[in-house]
Amino acid sequence: MSGKLKGKVAVVTGGSSGIGLSIAKRFAEEGARVAITGRNQATIDKAIKEIGPNGLGIQGDVSRLDDLVGVYKIVGEELGKVDALIVNAGVYILGPLAEFTEEQFDKVSDINFKGAFFSVQKALPVLKDGASVVLLSSTANGKGFPNHAAYSATKAAIRSLARSFSVELLDRKIRVNTLSPGPVDTPVFSTLTNNEGEAKAMMEAMGNFTPLKRVASSEEIAAAALYLVSEETAFMLGAELLLDGGLREL
Amino acid sequence: MAKLKNKVAVVTGGSSGIGLATAKKFVEEGAYVFITGRRQSELDKAVKEIGRNVTAIQGDISRLEDLDRLYTIIKAQKGSLDIIVASAGFVEIMYTPQVSSDHFDKTFDVNARGTFFTVQKALPLLNDKASIVLVGSCVYLKGFPQYVTYGATKAAIRYFTKAWAAELKDRGIRVNTLSPGAVDTPIVDGQFKTAEEAAAAKAMFAQFTPLGRIGKPEELAAAALFLASEDSSYITGVDLVADGGMTQL
Repeated sequence: MSGKLKGKVAVVTGGSSGIGLSIAKRFAEEGARVAITGRNQATIDKAIKEIGPNGLGIQGDVSRLDDLVGVYKIVGEELGKVDALIVNAGVYILGPLAEFTEEQFDKVSDINFKGAFFSVQKALPVLKDGASVVLLSSTANGKGFPNHAAYSATKAAIRSLARSFSVELLDRKIRVNTLSPGPVDTPVFSTLTNNEGEAKAMMEAMGNFTPLKRVASSEEIAAAALYLVSEETAFMLGAELLLDGGLREL
Repeated sequence: MAKLKNKVAVVTGGSSGIGLATAKKFVEEGAYVFITGRRQSELDKAVKEIGRNVTAIQGDISRLEDLDRLYTIIKAQKGSLDIIVASAGFVEIMYTPQVSSDHFDKTFDVNARGTFFTVQKALPLLNDKASIVLVGSCVYLKGFPQYVTYGATKAAIRYFTKAWAAELKDRGIRVNTLSPGAVDTPIVDGQFKTAEEAAAAKAMFAQFTPLGRIGKPEELAAAALFLASEDSSYITGVDLVADGGMTQL
């Protein structure tokens, strides 16, 4: 690896599995010190083993503001000011409109939308001027899919936050961009069903639905996240990088 | 760094601006690059600047025979092609009442028709898994006075991207648009009669850009590299907008 993030400090929310973990690993390989957050301490511990000595695990739930304050306090004390913030923590809760419950709605909204908003707000005191913030959205923010109404709406909200945050943070030269994946090879499909075979079948069906006929690897998403936090994208802000195998546009 | 090791690329409009910066970057990353441009003197300067692993072929993308000659030479020298960056473009700003049929034809001939045939005629040479980057403009995303014909050609390019991504996906060929905002290149200078006017316009563009400055050609070259390389292996049919926030905020 080329040490593109040598001496940098990064925070990846939801960094203990899936896309978040791949991003954290890649950033650590590139020389950054990386704090990850997650709800489950055992999963965090496992992730830190994979990330290695550049990783710092902090248990916390992004939908709880107290947790976020605590997370950034530790980040500030242990790692100092933050160069790259990856707002990645999210849940994938699907269901038909007619049957979607208030409880499901609140959960997907609290973690994906409210969580993203306050993950940035509470980070402001530890963010370095000139920092790069990447908000993980989804290709679903721009296309209709059955059972995705609430989930996609939270991701559309995130797309919008990148524009608004970028405007407000201009004077601090903090750039905020959206990274919107399509289906990715991560454990997220296991959260939709208790049956592992079914989860795998769902993932494969999603892959076949994309023009490239496959799901993305989480490493492909990590490469894009690295690109967005590097100086190479200094002229990009409020933008969306779509990484979906052609799902939305073709 | 060698993200494009052993790759063969063609960069149209490669003698100046974003095209030149992209050609330089690609050579640094290990590629062999063919650049095209209309003026031999500019091409000669560009070749000197790039230094190695580059061939310049004079030609106008709006002339199909020039494109045929370009690809005949590439085929003879390298056999096949991995990357196309279609960055040749023409801009002449004017309000709608002033648009003549000549201006209209020239703008569409270079930007839309020229880009179309740049890719069509390259297809027999393209390797599977090739990457095509069409340089658009953020102008098409928003209404701007005087950019009526230019913006429309860039919207056409945006659609070419989607249709070709769909047509070429089975060969693993990815096609994406790169849409810059205002960038410090000769195409901006060319829109104005004097250097003072151009400098004033650049200052105005910078004011309109949320970041408070115009882009550098190297920043767009980095974006072209990202889209041309394996780093974007799951990205196809998209528009990467690097415009300092001009159309995004």
